[in-house]
Amino acid sequence: MSDWKSLEAKSFYGASARERAIGIVDEGTFTELAGPQNRMSSPHLPVLGEAVEWDDGCVTGVGLIGKHPVFVISQEGRFIGGAVGEVHGAKMVGAFVLARQMYDRIKEEHPDELAERLPAVVISFETGGVRLHEANAGLLAHAEVMDQIQESKGKFPVISLIGSKVGCFGGMGFVAAATDVIVMSDLGRLGLTGPEVIEQEMGKDEFDSADRSLVYRTTGGKHKYIMRDANYLVEDTLGDFHDQLTAIMDAPYDEIVKCRRIGSEELVDEQLALAELSVEMAPKDARDVWAYFGNEDVDQIPEMTTAEFLAVAKRR
Amino acid sequence: MTTEPKIWNTLERDYRERLEAARPYVMDGKVVEAGDTVKLLEAVVRPGDKVNIEGDNQKQADFLAQCLCEVDTDKVHDLHMVQSVLSIPAHLDIFDKGIAKKVDFSFSGPQAGRLAEYVRDGKIELGAIHTYLELYGRYFVDLTPRVALCVGVSADKNGNIYTGFNTEDTPVIAEAVKFRQGIVIVQVNEIVDEVPRVDIPGDWVDFVIQAPRPFYIEPLFTRDPALITDSQILRAMMVIKGIYGEYGIQRLNHGIGFDTAAIELLLPTYGEELGLKGKICSYFVTNPHPTLIPAIESGWVKSMHCFGGEAGMAEYVQARSDVFFIGPDGSMRSNRDFAQTAGHYALDLFIGGTLQIDKYGNSSTATASRIAGFGGAPNMGCDAKGRRHATPGWMKCGEEYGMHDELVGDLPRGKRLVVQLQETFREKMAPGFVDKLDAVALAENAGLDLPPVMIYSDDLTHVVTEEGIAYLHKCTSMADRMAAIRAVAGFTEVGMAEDPAETASLRERGIFKTPADLGIDVRRANRDLLAAKSVKDLVNWSGGLYNPPAKFRNW
Repeated sequence: MSDWKSLEAKSFYGASARERAIGIVDEGTFTELAGPQNRMSSPHLPVLGEAVEWDDGCVTGVGLIGKHPVFVISQEGRFIGGAVGEVHGAKMVGAFVLARQMYDRIKEEHPDELAERLPAVVISFETGGVRLHEANAGLLAHAEVMDQIQESKGKFPVISLIGSKVGCFGGMGFVAAATDVIVMSDLGRLGLTGPEVIEQEMGKDEFDSADRSLVYRTTGGKHKYIMRDANYLVEDTLGDFHDQLTAIMDAPYDEIVKCRRIGSEELVDEQLALAELSVEMAPKDARDVWAYFGNEDVDQIPEMTTAEFLAVAKRR
Repeated sequence: MTTEPKIWNTLERDYRERLEAARPYVMDGKVVEAGDTVKLLEAVVRPGDKVNIEGDNQKQADFLAQCLCEVDTDKVHDLHMVQSVLSIPAHLDIFDKGIAKKVDFSFSGPQAGRLAEYVRDGKIELGAIHTYLELYGRYFVDLTPRVALCVGVSADKNGNIYTGFNTEDTPVIAEAVKFRQGIVIVQVNEIVDEVPRVDIPGDWVDFVIQAPRPFYIEPLFTRDPALITDSQILRAMMVIKGIYGEYGIQRLNHGIGFDTAAIELLLPTYGEELGLKGKICSYFVTNPHPTLIPAIESGWVKSMHCFGGEAGMAEYVQARSDVFFIGPDGSMRSNRDFAQTAGHYALDLFIGGTLQIDKYGNSSTATASRIAGFGGAPNMGCDAKGRRHATPGWMKCGEEYGMHDELVGDLPRGKRLVVQLQETFREKMAPGFVDKLDAVALAENAGLDLPPVMIYSDDLTHVVTEEGIAYLHKCTSMADRMAAIRAVAGFTEVGMAEDPAETASLRERGIFKTPADLGIDVRRANRDLLAAKSVKDLVNWSGGLYNPPAKFRNW
């Protein structure tokens, strides 16, 4: 593995789960917990004759951003598409439990410094959701993680990073939506039903999953940024994600949670109004929506670099 | 005794009759309206005709294929299709509907499963599975089509055809058919006043039709660098150092796949680092792979002739006329026939991937339930016996050939390098090395005279897996050769039969080399070595000239 400084320049999209875990916190601060040497692998896969990974496709650990202890969950798309099974899910939950214990301890030991030592949970998503091989356990894991997010509210932020190859789909799309902040790169993709599944269920005319350009227009970072489903859009390097995390953690908790998409009556009304708008305007393509929100030359948006896009993008 | 005078121009008389039958549908010059195509086909195609629908693994005469599906089966039936590929659904629909009954072809790709099913059910009588060149050869012997349904970019009303850079198979088909008084019909994207370049002269063409939509083209040779794995990068490093560098390979063909894409993307990085620029990979006969852009831009490639065009590459190719074969009109002309010929005689090396390699070194992409065919790979992946010119790589391989003295005596002769890249376990843990090829079971299932073997063991010189390189041509016996294959076969059933002592002796004799033997640090085999890591990087390398199709636009 490369050293931290060269990791910072590396593409987030091409980075492994472990490289992301190390690179998104400050230099030399990451400690992996329940790592491969602990050999926590899926009990279900061997029964089906499938290969296991000793980290079950999920890297967990703790690092620092400034003085903030950051509990990292990083999913590995190269193992069963990052799908969440029982152990993978339990490791996610474990990170939240540790973060909460850390919060209580800081509150007790450093009551004056709570703001600058406030912990966080950061999830680097790369997943299609439930691991079908262990369906019930996988579903339960989703529910438990949702529960943990609720438990974290009012205490410390939960932040999503999305910019890896598989994107963030299925049940984990819901989980990401329920976190406080979402950071994406333009290569990141976020959605519920994955493109292939939409095509399989509704036909190629409804959604051609082989049309990568269409997939990115509909689920990619730029679209999610315009729609405010993503709060921040950054360049595709580990360093840019690290810098954005640092900026978020520098803000007071009350400011950070303003990024939420759900969780209050106002936000629910806002989402319902959006649903109504989609019925009214019946967009044929994401470009129609971009134009509706005041973007000019929408055909050029996919071609723009992140910097060019951020300079001109009009958001809802 | 009196006899009737012998008639020597029955073909020409038949041709005139067919033209006459088509007369009501011909508008201005040779132009037929798209809406009259089915009627035109009913007028000029006769039961039992040999018919060619043009198409290969790239462009398709898809509109004409669709129209042939719609003819009245009372008028047109029992056709014998002689064509390069069965790759779009319409190619098999004509058998389902009873319009055609027999086929001679080269490659079936996505329709391979359905083809096997139809052969088993007796819906299709299978002639033979050919390589492209074999089939073209037979166009001029015993499989000359009576009617050809071809495809081009544009035509004028006199039938002059412009193919754009996807010239591909059109010249060879049109020539075979027209010079046996056959009928040539061409679908084009547009009828124009003047074509930019005449690829097929108007007097070889009987009818032109402006299709309602542009012809279908598959970007078959595009590989997204983002999907290249570390294991592919390791094999690519071994190939560059242990084969291209070792033999000074200057003239070569790259087959389709991620393995060769990885090699292409390592030339400007790892290849440069080894000081091999100018010493290897100067002349390609290959499709215009987008993953070759960084090597071309870095000045590695002197010339590149192409089998066909590749979607999105037209503008780039056009702007690099020192490298590609560009016509006076400024656009490229490809030609599958000439490229396949070069594959036999002008290239020193072929490299590509396969599905299965057996314990002897025979390889095949066939599975028991799919009749996939070959395309051109066997023309590339063989040692053409007619070659008579010497190049350093070819001579070195010949000098090392372990069976040379047995077969040729003491006269010098070169040997073509035929390299297969193989992962010991492929997707879904399918073993890359097997005791017996699935092709054997397929031959039994489908009643084929010959198992469809892509590359025979006696042509194969090198196998590269993550375990290392087997220099098979150095072997002096089949026993040696089988031991060398076991050495590279990893944990497959074949590889598990390896005898470590035997492998050690092969290493001593330079027949098997591990990455360490080659001086390759496996820790460096990761994506950081790729000159481009995404399709967007390729666009940037090309200065915006490469325009990837929607399915590859990850943005």
